[in-house]
Amino acid sequence: MDTLAASPSDLPVETDRIRAIPRGKVGVWWFLASEIMIFGGLIGCFILIRLAHGGWRAEADHVHWRIGALNTLVLLTSSLTMALACDAVKEGNQRALKIFLALTMFLGLTFLGIKAFEYSREIADGWTPATNLFFAFYFTLTGLHACHVLGGVVANTSLWVCAVRGRLWPLIQHRVELAGLYWHFVDVVWIFLFPLVYLS
Amino acid sequence: MPQLGDNFRTARLWDVRVWEYLVLLLAAGLVVFVAPMPKLGVIALIFGAAVAKTALVVRNYMHLKREHLLLYAIALIPVLLFVGLTLTLLPDIALRQ
Repeated sequence: MDTLAASPSDLPVETDRIRAIPRGKVGVWWFLASEIMIFGGLIGCFILIRLAHGGWRAEADHVHWRIGALNTLVLLTSSLTMALACDAVKEGNQRALKIFLALTMFLGLTFLGIKAFEYSREIADGWTPATNLFFAFYFTLTGLHACHVLGGVVANTSLWVCAVRGRLWPLIQHRVELAGLYWHFVDVVWIFLFPLVYLS
Repeated sequence: MPQLGDNFRTARLWDVRVWEYLVLLLAAGLVVFVAPMPKLGVIALIFGAAVAKTALVVRNYMHLKREHLLLYAIALIPVLLFVGLTLTLLPDIALRQ
């Protein structure tokens, strides 16, 4: 009976801990879980179909891994600047927040610019989504990821504009952390896409 | 508030240190890719590096190491579903070949 008596008394403590998590953060994690299912489904299909077709090594030789590596470095660096923006928010340093958010936006746009250059080279060489199944997957996976990067840039830009105008500071503090979660998730997806599409 | 300022400085330095580890892992993956090694070994090493990079980003930049178990569960359940479903279908492909 002691254990039965102890369990309900522990329950409110645990419930309080869960309630202490900000709702916005739980919401963003649920959203990220749904994103994992989207990318997970696509990546799973890519892995299985690739294995079933003998690895697509000849096709994979036509993607530019050096450009992909450069883009990986750009995205990893943007994750650092986003983390530093979150630190600046906690510190209450508005100037640092503006600088690091601007840097994150710039690096996100750089990633998209490099990706556009890469696509243009591949399409000029005759490698389009209609060429074969590998390039159909390549353009779908990297294109969907690029759309997510664009979404992150838009979110960061709106926060940066609010920070520059100096309005809604208490709201921004919380939202920068949530935008950071999304941005780091986009980085994590690329961390797996890069070896999967370019290196293997 | 010198102590609080020191904490923020430490947090910033740690973020930079994590980024250095991430770049090192990226460089290691590229070295393995260009090195004359068996393909299976290369794939195992570059995906091992990708898992390590993910753990670094998720635990440090997404602060999951300080979060409640509930957030771990929300993130891990779809990952386990994805890995489980992919592995379940692998024997089908192996048998077909």
